[in-house]
Amino acid sequence: MDVQFFLDVFPEILEGLQMTLSLFLWTMLFSTLLGLVLALMRLSPITPLRWFSAVYGWLLRGIPLLLLLFYVFFALPEFGDFFTFSPFRSAVVGLTLWTASYQSEAIRSGIISVDKGQSEASDALAMTKSHQMRKIILPQSVRIIAPPFTGNAINALKQTSLATVITVSEMTGITRGIIAGSFQTVEPLLALALIYLALTTVLVFAQSGLERVFRLKT
Amino acid sequence: MSDFDFDIIRRSWPLMREATWTSIQLFAWSLVMASFIGLLVALMRLSNVRALRWLAGVYVWIFRGLPALVILFFAFFWVGREFNLTSFQAAILGLGVSSGAYTAEIIRAGILAVDSGQQEASDALAMSRAQSMRRIILPQGIRVMIPNYVSNATLLFKSTSLATVIGLNELTGRSRQLANSTFKPIEILTAAGVVYLVLTSVLVGLQVLLERRYAVKG
Repeated sequence: MDVQFFLDVFPEILEGLQMTLSLFLWTMLFSTLLGLVLALMRLSPITPLRWFSAVYGWLLRGIPLLLLLFYVFFALPEFGDFFTFSPFRSAVVGLTLWTASYQSEAIRSGIISVDKGQSEASDALAMTKSHQMRKIILPQSVRIIAPPFTGNAINALKQTSLATVITVSEMTGITRGIIAGSFQTVEPLLALALIYLALTTVLVFAQSGLERVFRLKT
Repeated sequence: MSDFDFDIIRRSWPLMREATWTSIQLFAWSLVMASFIGLLVALMRLSNVRALRWLAGVYVWIFRGLPALVILFFAFFWVGREFNLTSFQAAILGLGVSSGAYTAEIIRAGILAVDSGQQEASDALAMSRAQSMRRIILPQGIRVMIPNYVSNATLLFKSTSLATVIGLNELTGRSRQLANSTFKPIEILTAAGVVYLVLTSVLVGLQVLLERRYAVKG
C-alpha cells in the first residue's frame, strides 16, 4: 500500500462528495413526497388509486435499480425531448422512483399502525379526512415510520453509487476513473470506502437519535 | 416513438436467456455464500467470547456501511487480481460478503426472538450450547427469519445486476449492450424488466408458501 498515493487520491475522491450528497438529498426530498402520495393512494377508498399504487410498488420493487437507471437514461429519451434528462437528472429520477416504492411501504405501515380509535374519535369530532390525517394520524405514525424511513435513506445513500454507471461523476465514478488511469486499486478503493463508511455511520447515529426522540415517554 | 417491436425481442431472446441463466447462477451461489457467512457471523455475535462478538460487529458495520458496488470493486480489482478470480467468482464473493452482513442480522434477530425459557429448559436438560442451538433455538427462530430472509434474497437477486459493472454478462448488462446494438432500448429493457419481475414474483410467492408452511398451527 502506497500511503503517499492514498493521501493524494483522498481529496480527489472527496471532491465527488458534493455530487453524492446532492444526488442523495434530491432523491430523499422527491422520494419522500412521492412515497407519501403513494401510501395515501394505497389507503384510499378509491379502487383505481389503490390499484395504481399497488402495481407501482410491485413493478418498482421487482426490478433492479440499475435496470431502472438504464431505462430512464437510454429508453425514456425515445419518448421525446420532454423525457430526455442529463445524467444527473436521470439518476435523481431513477433513484427517486425506486426509493419512493420503499418509502411508501414504510409510511403506509406507519399509518395503519395508528390505533383505529384515533380515526373514530376524529370522526366523532367531525374532522374531515384530510384534517384527521394531517393533525391526528400522521403525527402519531411518525414514530413507527422513522426507523424504516431512515433505513431506506441509508440504502438510498449507498445506491447513489450506481449513478456512476450512467456517467454521473460522483465519488464512485471518480474512483473508477483513478483506478483506470493509475492501475492502482487498493488506495483509491480504501479512500472511497472510508468516506462511505463515515457517511453511513453518521446516518446510523442519526437513526438511533431519531428513534430516541420519538420513543414514547413513560 | 415507433411501434413496439416484438420481433427484436424474439431475435434477442437467445442471448438474453443465456444472460438470465448467468444471473440465476450468480444469485444461487451468492445466496449460499451469504447464508453461510450470515449464520457464522450471527453465532459469533451471540457468542460468549468477546473477541468473536467484536469481530462480528465490525464485520456487520463495515459491510452494511458500504455500497454493494464498492464491495464488488474490492472483490474484483483487489482480491480478484491477487487470486486470479474470474468476474463471475469475484461477483459471488462480493455479493456474498455484502449480503452476508444483512443475513447475519436477520438470523440474529430470529435467534433472539426465541423465548429465553427455551434456552433455560435446554440447559436444565443438560444439553450443550451447540445441541440446544441446533435442536431447540434455530428451528423455532426460523419462523421469524423466513420473511426477512426471503426478502433479503429478493434484494440479492436484484443486486446481481451490479455484476455488469465488473464485466459479467448477466441480464442487465447484456440487455444494455443489446439496447445499444439494436437501437431498441425500450423493447429490450422492457423485456429484461419483465424477466426480473417474473423471477422476483416467484421469490415473493415462495415467501408466502414458506410462511404458511412454518406458521404456528392454531
